[in-house]
Amino acid sequence: MNLTFCPYEKEVRQLMARGQWPDACPPELRTHVSSCRTCGDLVLISEAFQHARVESLAAARPVAPAVLLWRAQLRKRNAAMERIARPLLGAQIFACAVALFAALGFAGFEARSGVAWLTWSYWHDWFVQLPQAAAAQWASLSSASLAGSTWTWMVLVPALATLVLLGGAVVYVATDKQ
Amino acid sequence: MAPTDKRTRMSWEFALTHVWAGGSKEAAGAGISDPAMENEVFAGFYERSARPLWAYLARSSADPALADDLMQESYVRFLCAEGAPVLARDGEAAARRYLFRVATNLLRDHWRRPRTASIEEIPEEFFAASGHAAQTESQILLAPALKQMKPRERQMLWLAHAEGYSHREIAQVMGLSAASIRLLLFRARRKIAALLRACAADDGRKS
Repeated sequence: MNLTFCPYEKEVRQLMARGQWPDACPPELRTHVSSCRTCGDLVLISEAFQHARVESLAAARPVAPAVLLWRAQLRKRNAAMERIARPLLGAQIFACAVALFAALGFAGFEARSGVAWLTWSYWHDWFVQLPQAAAAQWASLSSASLAGSTWTWMVLVPALATLVLLGGAVVYVATDKQ
Repeated sequence: MAPTDKRTRMSWEFALTHVWAGGSKEAAGAGISDPAMENEVFAGFYERSARPLWAYLARSSADPALADDLMQESYVRFLCAEGAPVLARDGEAAARRYLFRVATNLLRDHWRRPRTASIEEIPEEFFAASGHAAQTESQILLAPALKQMKPRERQMLWLAHAEGYSHREIAQVMGLSAASIRLLLFRARRKIAALLRACAADDGRKS
């Protein structure tokens, strides 16, 4: 299709934009429009669209601007909440991974003593002996010098730190949800 | 945090300061600092731009209900966007162009989405349009012609002939080059002119 532009097109467009078509239009231009396809198309289409625009403007029922402002505020708030929650999700995944590794480590360690730990009586004995074992461990921990029990501290300190961090995260999430 | 401070923070006037400024300090500095005034500025802008935007969406989509939804979504996105023009700094024309661009993208997304329409989803006006008595002149001629145009052609024609946008402005709204718009608009104009003449001839024969 050839792009054929008429030199009068701009003038016709300006007259239409100013609302001067066809009343305030020079007669020679009107004669030109009736014989020029480009200008004729322009007038036909512009008039149809302008009428349609006037009708559509009258048909529009926009909501109150406060509703949109409120919705925008809500959406921004939700987006901000999502941004805040993203690191917490990471912490939760980390906590789950640590717990999983601990469980697997424990299972692996206990598996060395056979499959006895899978029985009920094994766990019953373990729970019964737990307070005594813990007291003995605590006593040895408190009496031993720091240099002598470095390995114990290396395990205990990160474990406590993890517990504190996770506890803090859990408290934060709980209060935030409320 | 003091109670008064908290109350201020929870009010939507407070949030608007950040929303309207696009969340950036730079924009906030260039914009208006008084929230009440911001509300008034937005309300004024909305008053002037909502109906033309609705008309554009309704005529491009031929679905008034969809136009309602997309118009609200356009304003919400406009208010939430980080890079949206600030009225006090960039002017209303830029804000309006941005708004039309958002609406154009939403329309495009809507058309791209595969969906099936149930009978409940079809607007009542669609059925009402079958009664010639209630139809206006432009509905009789323009609506059937627009229906035969491609969505992008409808958008371009509306922006050019109803909104009076230049090729450059249409290019900004539609995300195309001005040279492409010039060619596409030329073709679309030829096509719709032929359809309008055919519709007018049909209408003349029927009456």
